[in-house]
Amino acid sequence: MFSDLSAQKEGSSLLCRPASENQGPVFERMLLAYSPCCERFKAGERSFGRQYAHIYAARLMQMRPVLSARAQQKWGTDVLIRKLCDMETGEQCCIVGTLFKRMDLQPSILKEISEEHNLLPQPPRAKYINESDELILEDELQRIKLEGKIEKDKCVTGSVIAIYGAERTDGKFTVEDYCTADLPLQPTRPELSSDRFVLLASGLGLDSSQGDSMLGLQLLVDMVTGQLGDLGEQSGAATISRVILAGNLLSQSTQDKEASIKAKYLTKKTQAGSVDAIRVLDELLLQLVASLPVDVMPGQYDPTNYTLPQQPLHRCMFPLSSAYPTLQLEHNPYQANIHGVRFLGTSGQNVCDIQRYSSMDSHLEILEETLRLRHLAPTAPDTLGCYPYYQKDPFILEDCPHVYFSGNAPTFESKLLKGPDGQEVLLVTIPEFSSTQMACLVNLRTLQCEPVSFSSFCTDEDEECEMNVSH
Amino acid sequence: MTTKRGLITDSFKVVKKARRLRGKRERRPSPPPQQEAETKTIREDELQRLRQFDLDWRFGPCTGISRLQRWERAKLHGLNPPEEIRELLLQTHTDPQYNLSLWSEYPI
Repeated sequence: MFSDLSAQKEGSSLLCRPASENQGPVFERMLLAYSPCCERFKAGERSFGRQYAHIYAARLMQMRPVLSARAQQKWGTDVLIRKLCDMETGEQCCIVGTLFKRMDLQPSILKEISEEHNLLPQPPRAKYINESDELILEDELQRIKLEGKIEKDKCVTGSVIAIYGAERTDGKFTVEDYCTADLPLQPTRPELSSDRFVLLASGLGLDSSQGDSMLGLQLLVDMVTGQLGDLGEQSGAATISRVILAGNLLSQSTQDKEASIKAKYLTKKTQAGSVDAIRVLDELLLQLVASLPVDVMPGQYDPTNYTLPQQPLHRCMFPLSSAYPTLQLEHNPYQANIHGVRFLGTSGQNVCDIQRYSSMDSHLEILEETLRLRHLAPTAPDTLGCYPYYQKDPFILEDCPHVYFSGNAPTFESKLLKGPDGQEVLLVTIPEFSSTQMACLVNLRTLQCEPVSFSSFCTDEDEECEMNVSH
Repeated sequence: MTTKRGLITDSFKVVKKARRLRGKRERRPSPPPQQEAETKTIREDELQRLRQFDLDWRFGPCTGISRLQRWERAKLHGLNPPEEIRELLLQTHTDPQYNLSLWSEYPI
């Protein structure tokens, strides 16, 4: 683990005289082969004239063969797989379809503008689930209400599943069992002879009016670039071969909602809040990219498009750091091979959205659930913005990643998940840096993950004023 | 105030006449009726087949995308769309009546 590597070995090299005139040992940064695989998230034509029916149709077309195979594996090869239109009442069968959860509390623009109801707009809630929710399964032609052994609060709209049971005389389907697509097959991971780390951080939350809260972030940068600690720590820093910044580099406060409402002549001379924040980010990135490759993913509050997949931030926003080839501006969702280890992850919008529309609270649990559903963002396009694809749903996982992460989580959590076909996946929820002062390090050799905390002088906690760089 | 403004019919009278004239001009160079009927039936037949393709629910929704795009999506997902539809669409790819779906004239 990283903490063992960088632990002081024989005495500290800090409290002693410099050895000689020259600068002492130099630790070479260990770099790894890298290949981005983001073609499927790249925006080609931008046509918004289509309806979302296509993405659901494509999703079901893509998932149906997978789920039929799973159903046969689970309930025997002679299981009757039916479409809803040829199903008969009382017949035990299996149906593959897309879930739809009818929710009373789900905000609906049509409901709000409807003059007949004369409703006040609902306040935003933390959870939109309710007792009266109903689960409905849809296939290409029909839909049916579900009852029985299926937890409606845990399910979310848009997930494709296979259910087993029978239709009752009242037209509802009694579910006896159900299955998801589960983990896809995984390419083999090459062996590494020594420890190599990738640092994951998210939610830097920069804005124009911060000065003292930058200390933790500066410590992170100094740790990674090897300007912190003694020789042991510096040699440890040299094994960090890449940094991935998973979204929300700017804070929510940089999104000035008022500017769009106010008259143009009033806001003529004011500057957008994000301009200063981007300048600060550029300076931070400059320190990092001078030392090692950095992948920058956009997040919910960053200046790029809102709908998933988010396109990379534009190079012209980073005049200083974009001069370096080590700055990689990436898509959200992010997919890349780092020395044969496949990374896949998002900035956390998909997980936060499922949290709002289901009873699941832990980001790690939701992350695992999306992996089992074999879909990065099942709630897109229902409650999460998404480009209207027609041919393929790019969020379906075609092969299993080795590291699957989501950003901007409230706490750090990680888990090594083992699949039935020998898959090994490290699930990581990257904590939001601005609130937790934490990042995490993934060891590519062992697929272990540990948090790194930079909590420092806190303004609201008087007791804990000790600077603490712990692993 | 109202008397100062001209009547709306003043500006639209001319257009009405012109349209009637244009209609007459177009009708004159039309082919003899027999030949016209023959091509019409072939065209009708082809369009009918394409409409049947649009209405085949197995290949997914048809609004908002071209018929060829829909055919290619079905092919990609292994749904075996009829090959002759693709040939027909490739031959007549300039004609919007052929390459756009049945509902293309309706606003979404």
